[in-house]
Amino acid sequence: MNDEIFTYLIAGKAGQGTKKAGIVAANFFAALKRNVFQMNDYPSFIRGGHNFSLVSTATRKIFSHYMKADLAVILDERGYTIHKDHLVENGVLVYDSKIVKKDHGIGVPISSFAKEYTDSDLIVGVAGIAVLAAAVGADRTRLDSVIQNEYHRNVEENLNFAHEIYDYVAEIIPHQFILREGKETHPILTGAETIGLGAITAGLDLYFAYPMTPSTPILHFLASQGKKLGVVTVQPENEIAVANMAIGAAFTGARSMVGTSGGGFCLMQEAFSLAGMIEAPVVFFLGQRPGPSTGVPTYTEQGELLFSLYPGQGEFPRIVASPGSIEEAFYLSGELLDLAWRFQTPAILLSEKHLTESSMNVDLKLEKIQEAEPDLHTNGSYQRYRQTDTGVSPLLFPPSDTMIKWNSYEHDEQGYTTEEAEVITRMKMKRQTKQESLIRHLQEKIQTVNEFGSGNSCVFTFGSTTMSVREAVLHADLSCTIVQPIYLQPFPSWNLIKYIEHKAVVVEQNSTGQLEQLLREKIGITPISSIRQFDGRPFNPADLAKQLRKVIG
Amino acid sequence: MGDDLTTPVENTWCPGCGNFGILNAFRKAVLKLEKQGIDSKRLVISAGIGCHGKIFDYVPLSGLYSLHGRSMATVQGIKLGNPNLKVLTFAGDGDAYGEGIAHIIFAAKRNADITVIVHNNGTYALTTGQFSPTSQKGFKGPSQPKGNIEEPLNPLSLLLEAGASFVARGYAGKIDHLSDMIVEAVLHEGFSVIDVLQPSVVFNNTYKLYNDLTEIIPNPADTFEEAVKIVKDFNNRIPIGVFYKVKKPVFHKELMGEWNPVVNHMTPEKRKQHVASYLSDEFHE
Repeated sequence: MNDEIFTYLIAGKAGQGTKKAGIVAANFFAALKRNVFQMNDYPSFIRGGHNFSLVSTATRKIFSHYMKADLAVILDERGYTIHKDHLVENGVLVYDSKIVKKDHGIGVPISSFAKEYTDSDLIVGVAGIAVLAAAVGADRTRLDSVIQNEYHRNVEENLNFAHEIYDYVAEIIPHQFILREGKETHPILTGAETIGLGAITAGLDLYFAYPMTPSTPILHFLASQGKKLGVVTVQPENEIAVANMAIGAAFTGARSMVGTSGGGFCLMQEAFSLAGMIEAPVVFFLGQRPGPSTGVPTYTEQGELLFSLYPGQGEFPRIVASPGSIEEAFYLSGELLDLAWRFQTPAILLSEKHLTESSMNVDLKLEKIQEAEPDLHTNGSYQRYRQTDTGVSPLLFPPSDTMIKWNSYEHDEQGYTTEEAEVITRMKMKRQTKQESLIRHLQEKIQTVNEFGSGNSCVFTFGSTTMSVREAVLHADLSCTIVQPIYLQPFPSWNLIKYIEHKAVVVEQNSTGQLEQLLREKIGITPISSIRQFDGRPFNPADLAKQLRKVIG
Repeated sequence: MGDDLTTPVENTWCPGCGNFGILNAFRKAVLKLEKQGIDSKRLVISAGIGCHGKIFDYVPLSGLYSLHGRSMATVQGIKLGNPNLKVLTFAGDGDAYGEGIAHIIFAAKRNADITVIVHNNGTYALTTGQFSPTSQKGFKGPSQPKGNIEEPLNPLSLLLEAGASFVARGYAGKIDHLSDMIVEAVLHEGFSVIDVLQPSVVFNNTYKLYNDLTEIIPNPADTFEEAVKIVKDFNNRIPIGVFYKVKKPVFHKELMGEWNPVVNHMTPEKRKQHVASYLSDEFHE
């Protein structure tokens, strides 16, 4: 099955357009109706450093990039050292012979050609596309249309430069790759885009965020596209303001969401607890990167699973869910907005850099997302915290004839501050009842666990690692059932208990086995093996497949 | 809600507390605002945490009782959610100038259309009298029994520099004057702050000082420089009044024009149409 996968790697210094070239390559494959998965690896620098983009493509659905390339284009010395062995058998390595003085692979004096053009540094990314076109035998017309569609500045220069590289490579390339055309394909989106679009589809009005990788791409996407989609984007002074403004906006009935990463989420703890107490519906996007503390900002990890389950002081219902694919991120983002409003409590969309910043083909069914609609007060006297069977009190928004008070102190039904023992007890019970209603709703109405494949052995995983596991299983044709809890709080034990007798393996991207701890504690599963990676890089499905085969046969 | 703007909640401020003056001035201001066409249904309040915050329970207006220091962010969120609302928050000196100082500075900087009334009593009274950002040097409290070693902050000078478009100082003992300033601040389009000198009868009784020294300045300064001078002028007097008032673009209009997120909330059908068209554009690019 691996035979039909083709992986393209472009590596160079930050500022050389490698990420852009990765996107263009992905679109190039999509035009052949092939599916793609693109992953960008970059350090926390603006210029310099080493960046690379990997695009794997297949005619079937593909869930991960592969680390070994069929075609690698290397623009800098460091890239050569790092990637020279990252090739499949018969893989072709093309490098800038003006910069790199080596003889393994095909030298092309890319930067000598580039020198003749205005923006000689940025233009080298275009060479990556010209090399790709030559390597897969695309004709010049095809190359021209790609360049024209994708690079809007200095089109003439880009075309001339691309032609020089194309002709040079076509002469000397040892063999051409044959890329079969696929049957159908769908738009290529990043996780950041699907998360934004899912929330928009469910009725998002306002998005608040302070820049922090890896949540920033959502901020950028909504800032650039939000207006025409009905969403206003705000960047306040810090994460504390972010969370409190979002809560203020929710008080008016505006569907609000915030985005942050671990450090920023720490600053939001008191506001998260406030949302729990005053029963404010707000969705918190929490994008993970390797921690603790500042950690490794532009890489990926799943080290905040346990942290995400009980944020904020005190007892109140919390909702945490993590999407297992870029596509699922769309539906889950919308679903969490709905749940937050339905149960008037904060919800966390937990994800990772690997999901927000990677991209793949997605087939989004908009009709599957419903508008986040709260239970509304209709008439008569109003009490913000009225006792109900479900623990959910109907909402009313200002301006209103009757008073609406949301209160961070313990409060009575009217919203006035209280210290009365009886009222405190009543209100604690109300929030507890709401928790029970939430669990009932998840049990009856919501898909809380995904199951992929079949086989007696169960591979447990969550979040973006699900994509790595699915690709590994496809790649090696393994016989197993992949079990992915989508919801992590409340934990869907009711759906997981049936796997207790199966041979279990847990795959996650952290060093302490946080999902494994949850599985042991909540449903008493004792895995036969744990596969953990915590170097900031997503799993390479080829390596993961080998590790899985060892333990499940 | 009753015309006297009272609630059934028992008032637990110390007898003689300066907060009563602020509460009375605010109630009068709400009635005056009603006469000027600002329906109190449209006036939404917030408060921080501290003695001042109890005012939230004492007036029957809609609002959100926020966290210590955060109410300035809360009301900015309310304003962005529904710009048709008038928003006002009460804050203590610990809230506005300590815990939440970033929020008030940035609200001033971006000229958010909110009103902040700071109950400035120069002490953390509810937590039994520790020094606050505006405590005088030498002020004795349980956390600095030998006296405050820090100089007090001049909040209005700071907020002028930050870009505040309406800066005033009031005194809880001059209720009508304060009440008129609250009306003016609410009607002002943009960021307005009233730093209210508020005696704490138990921990920082400043009635005599303020009765002797406060002096009403009838008109705002003509220039920014003059305003900066007057907020720092404590030469045998404490000026009170609206010191600075200018017209500037307001944040929510700069951000979203006439768009109102809750009033103009797009129907699900329209949203789906837009998302579908975004997806097909992406696809064909």
